[in-house]
Amino acid sequence: MSDLTRKTFFLFLFSFFSLWSFSQKSELDSLQQELSLYVKRDSVRVGLLIQAVSTMTYSNPSEAFPYVEEAIAISSEIQWKKGEALGLRQKGNLHYVLADNLNALDAYQKALGLSQTIQDKQLTSSLLSNIGNIHADLKEYDKALENYRAFLTASQSLGNVPNEIRALSNMAIVYNDIGNFKEGISYLEKALALAQQEKNDLFVAAITNNLGLAYKNLEQYPRALEHYQDAAILAQKIGNKYIEASALNSIGKVNVLLEKYDLARENGEKALLLSKEIEAVEWQADSWKVLSTVYEQEGRTAEALDAYKEHIQLRDSVLNEEKKSELTRKEMEFQMERQEAEANEEIKRQQLVKNGYLIGAILLGLISVIGYFLYKRRRDALEKKKVAEFKAKVAETELKALRSQMNPHFIFNSLNSISDFISKNDTEQANEYLVKFAKLTRSILENSEKKWITLEEDLELIKLYIQLESLRLRDEFKYDIKVDKDIEMDNTLVPPLILQPFIENSIWHGIAKKENGGQINIEIKKEGEMILCIVEDNGAGRSKNMPANNQKSSLGVKITGNRLDIINQAKNTMSSIKMIDKPEGLRVELKLPLELQF
Amino acid sequence: MLNAIIVDDEQHCIDRLTELLQRHKDSIKIISNCKTIEEAEQQIKVTQPDVVFLDVHLNNATGFDLLSLLPKMDFEVVFTTSYDTYALKAFKFSALDYLLKPIASEDLENAVQKIVHNRSLKETSQKIDVLFHNFKDGIVQPKRMAIPTVEGFTMIEINNIVRFQSDANYTHVHTVTNKKVTAAKTLKYFEEILGSHNFFRIHKSHLINLSFVDNYIKGKGGYVTLLDGSKIEVAVRRKEELLKRLAF
Repeated sequence: MSDLTRKTFFLFLFSFFSLWSFSQKSELDSLQQELSLYVKRDSVRVGLLIQAVSTMTYSNPSEAFPYVEEAIAISSEIQWKKGEALGLRQKGNLHYVLADNLNALDAYQKALGLSQTIQDKQLTSSLLSNIGNIHADLKEYDKALENYRAFLTASQSLGNVPNEIRALSNMAIVYNDIGNFKEGISYLEKALALAQQEKNDLFVAAITNNLGLAYKNLEQYPRALEHYQDAAILAQKIGNKYIEASALNSIGKVNVLLEKYDLARENGEKALLLSKEIEAVEWQADSWKVLSTVYEQEGRTAEALDAYKEHIQLRDSVLNEEKKSELTRKEMEFQMERQEAEANEEIKRQQLVKNGYLIGAILLGLISVIGYFLYKRRRDALEKKKVAEFKAKVAETELKALRSQMNPHFIFNSLNSISDFISKNDTEQANEYLVKFAKLTRSILENSEKKWITLEEDLELIKLYIQLESLRLRDEFKYDIKVDKDIEMDNTLVPPLILQPFIENSIWHGIAKKENGGQINIEIKKEGEMILCIVEDNGAGRSKNMPANNQKSSLGVKITGNRLDIINQAKNTMSSIKMIDKPEGLRVELKLPLELQF
Repeated sequence: MLNAIIVDDEQHCIDRLTELLQRHKDSIKIISNCKTIEEAEQQIKVTQPDVVFLDVHLNNATGFDLLSLLPKMDFEVVFTTSYDTYALKAFKFSALDYLLKPIASEDLENAVQKIVHNRSLKETSQKIDVLFHNFKDGIVQPKRMAIPTVEGFTMIEINNIVRFQSDANYTHVHTVTNKKVTAAKTLKYFEEILGSHNFFRIHKSHLINLSFVDNYIKGKGGYVTLLDGSKIEVAVRRKEELLKRLAF
């Protein structure tokens, strides 16, 4: 029922955005000429391109796309947002004319975004209107109203009354479409008031005609007739045959409903004439319908039938058109839904991907954290194990060192010596030996818990030990201890009794085998960051008594080797033992890091 | 001539000491040998000896138990012991004489010389006081110590000692009251007996009480300033250990 009204208004809606639509072939030619001359990619060429597109919008829309795309591209290049927005609007127009509402809407939306960022109110309001039109076409009334309302506000703030009227009228149409005629009428009244104020007769006529339709829908026929008549008179006055024909047809229909067939026929015939004149098929069909009813009431059945046939024929063609457009619309809706669904799908997919990434990242983080902890735990465990092993080695070596110093052989030999002195009634010697033995034992026990003692203390111990052995062997050997002058005895640290096993070897395996004249020389020298300790004897040497005493002599050396390993590990030094066989006797060189107390 | 009593639970030790003291028969006469603290207590009360050679371990009791039974200390004490680190430490803190068994004749001679020439009963009872005091509070952390000096000795609360400074074979002891005592001992002697206290050797010539450290000033080795205002150099090799001890 509202098709007619909407048709009436369609022109009205369109008249708005086709700013350059009154085109001429010649104008396009001259524009194309100018474009071929002006090739610089700047705002001037954009202006020309948009102008060219607008002249082609109705005549040749599908071929205008390259121009509009170029305009958009250049504007984007030179960052001229208004140019880009204008281009997009024109592109939307092209799609709209080609009934591609979806792409039209897309272009308009992009243009709207740009025009809002540059705060171009004029452009914004025009785009709001166009977007509203498309939503109205797609029967998305809420969105249509929303955009029209924004359009209205924008127009009011710009003081653009015609646009204000358009906004109000379009909103009224939407209300009428959804059956809210009262709201529709109130908007139409507002629009009418403004149109009258503006003295815009075309608007007044169209609005008045729509008011008539609204009242007819409310079944307020007298008021409907009143408005239709006003519209018809005004339309005639301004020579708008579309509105006049529509109004006259409507008057005919209302009179049929009021059973005033004479009036109905009179108006129907007038309308038919006008419709034929302007080749408006729809209006003609309407007129024939009115006439057919009238003829039937008047008993002119043959004419009624003819009129009815005309009506059906024309209506069918209109319906075909409408069906086609309806199909297009449905298709568009479907496409839009599909696109929306696809977009939703895409959003979902992206959300999924995002979630996937997020979960992946979290998992990865978690795995690396766990991995790190496991690694750290393993590393710590290994480290702990190493430390424990090292500590165990230290403890074991310390114990072994003590045992090698407190060698049972040494202890029992000492005791035997004492016994020997006593049996020979040499109590003096026995006593001296015993006291020294006690003193040495005490010192060894005390120092065995220290890692380092001063060289001074250590040499005291060594001396005590050698004296004891010398006493036991009845002065069979002599000894000499030499320390370099540049070594501070009371400030240099050495591991306690580190030389003792070598001295013991020299005495037991070197000197003891010798008849007399044994000599042991001990020398301490500084060698850079190391101290060199030399134990040298003129005894039997290694090779001769190697097999028999190999085990014992190597045990002491082995323990010393372990002690040096520990020092090397703890201090990162290069301590070493070197054993040199001499023609007569053995020379041991022990290198230790130079450790100072202060 | 000094009258002496030997207190030891082992006959061979008594015999040995008796034999060794034969060389000093002109100055010391043994009037009695005791094997238990009860016997010794009795003998000391009856005979009023000038010197007591006292074994630290007497069966289940100690030589210290014997001394605590006596109302007054009017004799010299020379402890004898074989191997007892705790007891040795206690003797050092109280600057008491002791002989390690088996007794070396030189050591005995030194001890006898000291008793004959530097007899001072007052000192001895004070030293015994310190010994008891330290024993009562647990041997590990004695509170007072007897510091041997050229003239005799000085009693000092360990917590009042700010630092020690070596001077050849002598050591200057600086206390919180700005008293300076010169000890007839090396710095090493004090380092050894005070190692388990809050003392630390920061330099060849300096042993300080860490409780009195006011500031540490960074440097190669750096310096510490103590609460008495002294500024003392830290040896490079002691820096790390010092910072560890100060828990920086």
